[in-house]
Order: sequence, then C-alpha cells, then structure tokens
Amino acid sequence: MVDDEPSIRFASAAHRQPRLLVRLLQCPQCSKPFNAPVHLPCGDTVCRACLPSARPRTHVSYPNTPDRLQSIVCPLPACGAEHAAAECCLDVTMNKLMELIELEMSKYRLPIGDTPTRLIEKLAQEDSTKVGEKEMEPELGHERVLHGGRLLATFTMAQMGELRYNSEVEYSSVQSSNLQLDEQQYEYESLDIAFLVQLQEAAGEVTNCLVCYNMMLDPTTTACGHTFCRRCLTRVMDHSNICPLCRRDLHVPASLQNKPSNRRLSSLLDLLCPEILADRLAALKTEEQPGNETLDTPLFVCTLALPTMPTFLHVFEPRYRLMMRRCMDGNKRFGMVMYNRTGAPQGNLGPTHFLEYGTMLEIVNHELLRDGRSFVEARGVGRFKIQDHGMLDGYIVGRVEKVEDVSLSEEQDAEQGETSGSHEYATRFLAANPDIPLPFGVALDSMPTQELLDFCMRFVNDMRRASAPWLSQKIVQVYGEPPANDPALFPYWFACVLPINEEEKYRLLQTTRVRERLKIVKTWIERIQNQRR
Amino acid sequence: MSLSKRIIKETQRLAEDAVPGISAVPHDDNLRYFDVTIDGPSQSPYEGGVFKAELFLPDDYPMTPPKIRFLTRIYHPNIDRLGRICLDVLKSNWSPALQIRTILLSIQALLGAPNPDDPLANDVAQAWKQDEQAAIQTAREWTEKHAKP
Repeated sequence: MVDDEPSIRFASAAHRQPRLLVRLLQCPQCSKPFNAPVHLPCGDTVCRACLPSARPRTHVSYPNTPDRLQSIVCPLPACGAEHAAAECCLDVTMNKLMELIELEMSKYRLPIGDTPTRLIEKLAQEDSTKVGEKEMEPELGHERVLHGGRLLATFTMAQMGELRYNSEVEYSSVQSSNLQLDEQQYEYESLDIAFLVQLQEAAGEVTNCLVCYNMMLDPTTTACGHTFCRRCLTRVMDHSNICPLCRRDLHVPASLQNKPSNRRLSSLLDLLCPEILADRLAALKTEEQPGNETLDTPLFVCTLALPTMPTFLHVFEPRYRLMMRRCMDGNKRFGMVMYNRTGAPQGNLGPTHFLEYGTMLEIVNHELLRDGRSFVEARGVGRFKIQDHGMLDGYIVGRVEKVEDVSLSEEQDAEQGETSGSHEYATRFLAANPDIPLPFGVALDSMPTQELLDFCMRFVNDMRRASAPWLSQKIVQVYGEPPANDPALFPYWFACVLPINEEEKYRLLQTTRVRERLKIVKTWIERIQNQRR
Repeated sequence: MSLSKRIIKETQRLAEDAVPGISAVPHDDNLRYFDVTIDGPSQSPYEGGVFKAELFLPDDYPMTPPKIRFLTRIYHPNIDRLGRICLDVLKSNWSPALQIRTILLSIQALLGAPNPDDPLANDVAQAWKQDEQAAIQTAREWTEKHAKP
C-alpha cells in the first residue's frame, strides 16, 4: 500500500494496516506476541523460548570465551546461520516495549463495549500445504469475532495463538447491538487511531537512545541486548569498546559496518512514529553540519599537505575518526592545516593553534582497522586560506577561501617585468663591479622561469646520481617522478621529498605565482649547496 | 556552536525534576557552563555545608565526560586545593549513558565516602589515614568556615 499524503499515514497504519503492525510484534517462530524477545546477530528477533538450546561449536578457537564456544542455530529459515550464544541476548528495549504494549492492550480492552469485527485468518501458501507432512485436508485459518477495532482485535487473535505469522487477515463487519453499520465503521476507525496514539506514547517512552536522548535512528543492538542509534553507538566506539550501559566488552568492529540493524524495532518505529523519525533525520542533517552552515570544511590540524601530492595519515583520535567517517559519507574532502607552533597571529583569525593556509585533501583510500583506527591516503586537490572557524564535535571546521595562482598572462607579465628589470640592473652592476658576484636577489629575479626549473631539475638529477637518501627509489615510488615539465607543480613535489622543516615548506601554500614558488625552491637548493661546500 | 538535543533535555530535566541537595544552572551566555551546588551529605563532616562547583560540557560531550571542579574549599582526600576531583566516572570510567545528574550524585556520594587510598590531595589523605577523627574534625571546621551559605 502506498501512502500519498503523510496525514493519512497515521490512520492507515492503525486502521488499514493492523496486520502489518501486529506482525512486527509477533515472533516469527511461535507467532505469538514476543515474550522475552531475543535479538539475533542476523538482525531479527524471536522469543527466548523459541530459541533452540545452545550446543558446543566445533572448529572454533578464537575468541574462546565460554559463551562464544556455544552456538545457537538460527531458527529463522531466512538465516539458518550458527550464532554465537554470546550474541543472542534479551533485547532490552523490545522487551520493555512489549511489556508496555501488553499493558496498554489490557487497559484498553476493559472499557470497550460491544464493537465486533469478524476476522478470518488467510493462511499463506506454505502454511496451508506443508511439504513433507502427511496428505491431509488443506488446513483452514481461524475465524473469530473480536472487539475493540481492527488493531486490538488482530493483536488479540495473535495472543490467542490463532494468527500465524505469515497469515493475512480478512476483516468484515458484524452488526453490533447498539450501532448502525456506517456509524460502526467510523467508531472503529477512531478506536484504532486512539489506540495507536497510546502505542506511540509507549514507544516514545522506551525507544529514546540513551546517548543522544532522541528517538533511536537506525536502532542497532549490541551483543548484550542494549540498543542505540547506529550513529551514536559508532561514535561511542570511537572512544571505547564497552557498552555504555552495562560496560560489557563489545568486540564489534568499531565501524559497525557489517552489523545489521535491529530490524523489528526499526520497522516498528517507522510504522508507529514516521513523523518523529522524519524530523529527526532532518534535524540530524543540520546537527552534523557545523552550527553556522558556512563553516563547511572540516579541518584536520596535523601536518603539511601539498597540492597534487599524496598525504598518508594514521587516524586514531576519536574526533578525527568521526571526521573521517563523515568525510567518507560526504564528498571525501577535508582541509589539512599545520599546527601554529610559534603562536604567531594568523591574519584575521588571531593567534589560533593552527596556521591559516592549508591544503584541501581528497581521500583516495580509506582502510579501516578493526579497532576503529584507520589508514588514510589522500591527495591534495587545492589550497585554501581559512576565513573563519568554529568547532564541531571536537574538531575544527572552517569557512575557507580558495588560493589559486594568478592568470597565465599575469604570470608572464611578472616574469617579463622581473627578468628585464633585474637584467638591466645586473648589466649596470657588472659594468661597475666586474669582480663581485651579483646580489642573490638580483640573480634570482633575472632568471627566466624555465631556467629556474632547469636549475632545480639539475640539482635533483645530481642528487639522484649521488644517491641522496631522500631521493631513494622508495621515495620516488611514493611521490612519483619529478614533474620535470611542469614548473607550477614541481615545487610541491620537491617540497614533499626534501628533508627540511615544514614551516619553510609552508611558504609554498601562500604563493600565487609559479615563479614565486620556484624562487623559494631555488633558495633552498642554494642553501643546501652552500652547506655542502 | 549549536547545542545538542541531549544537552537541552538534560538541562530541562535538571530544572523540572530537581534532585534534592543538588542544583545545576546553566549560564545565560554559555549553556554548556553550569553553576553547581552540592549539599554536604548528612552523617558526614560536610553536613550543613553548601559546596559550589563549576561544570563544563566539552564540545564532544557526551562522548567525553563533563569537566567539573569545586569552587568552595573543601577538606577531602579525593579533592585537591584547586577543587579538582578524583573520581573514576569523571575519567576512565565515564560512559555516555551517564549524565550531569548522575555525575553530581556520584560526587555527593564521594563526599559521604572519602577514599584516602586513592588520594588526589596527598597531605589530606595522609592526615586521614593517620588520625581519621582529627581529619574529620578538620573537614568539619572547613565546612563551617568555607561552605556555610
């Protein structure tokens, strides 16, 4: 059934889909309403009494806690897997919910008068002709006249054990003693709706996540039977691996990646409280965004990253685990900025603990370890300057402005201006002082961009011939061969491999001209050459 | 920085359904910063005293515990002269299922049950171990002197 308008969804769940709702409260094994429901690792739920007894597991030795060496064969045909006994625990939330629902049902049953509905159980195909059984007359469904509207009547039928899990129900009107049939119809519908409101309240009481205090979103149940929002549990696992409620060791991969949700609870909440969940989802979107929506770039304060070059990270801090997860769910990008070691003021930002220029990284490989740490390989996709910053769940977020090179024509104008100007100066200088070498700055400015690059490449090639350790085969494998024909990118490559301190390399992030970058690189080289002399 | 639903709900409940002997009121200009008072438990040397504390919810609360510190001077082996508190649930045993209310109750319980074997204020713990009666008397005097409203 498809609901077109949200406003009728409410009534439809109660009145038009009583069977759907009641089935969610029925054990797929015994067909009765859940009694001591146990959450199974496959995501479904059965009564504790419907669970076969545990038997020793063979060929299993790790982890070898006693309860993991016992297994329970999943009674559900769709699964059939062998579950560790340790992971089949009473579903605390579902259990409370069932208690509340039964309480509401019994309270409700008392004041309702003569409001009969005829219910005819329509057996599912596989139930009416069971394979392997003796040739018998096809079994017939039960038939009852019950009171209190369709929802309560259907639940009552399940309680009586006369409604199989897979059966459908056909409803028909029965003349009651004191109402006309059309009045009756209206009356029943309001009974259903009033009752559903009660159920919603019951659900609202017990299905709040104890981490975020909201209604559980994508409820996920631990092996100890405690349920939280998947998101909340994942975040808790960033910090520790014990259940927040009972402190039992959880032994789950911190990502919960392959852990099924609590399907019953999830479907029940979808059916009972669609509005609350929709609001919750909408709220979540804004919650996960920084408070101010323009602070849209997560900032990792750690190291120097450079455009087009790879950066390798070992992510272990809880806040950055969360940040990486969010990045992976989003556009896979985050900003990398360095620590402000000297505490120098950063432009308009003041003395922040990070530097104002950074590199936007895009995650190319994210390897999540079992304990929640991860190895991240990211590549620089551009530079930025932080305009404003704030905090989100422990990490920094910022509004950033792209830093880009000037246009090629401006670049050429600069080259022209610098080289011709200093060339004139150099001619005059050398004419006057033929024996004195040119001042360094003048020599630098007079070099055409291509010559600057050639100079740097000669140095790289010389150093490789001399087997400099920072140009070993291994390093070149990681960062690639030098971009010998790209003066714009060469400095980034060079800065990646050159073993000098990061604050010096940081100057490259602030440049807007290719020449500027190459000139910086050349000063490094000159310094190294002078030291070697 | 927006305030999480959880913090809003906790604050509401602290106001609507107050715990006797404990109060926590957020600052108007910083809803993560609370002025706290804890009444000294009866049958303890802190009885009759009202102890002021400050409580701050860090940015990643409830993943990390609240930060809390006594502002009123108190003579107690697990609370140092800066008001810092040695209590497992404020550190390694924190769980996001705990909350401001339960933490304040734990601190109140700590006042009623000093633990000189896990000291933060070494001199106080020493005194406590050497002559418990005298230490209790000192605690009582400090309560009289610093914690009377």
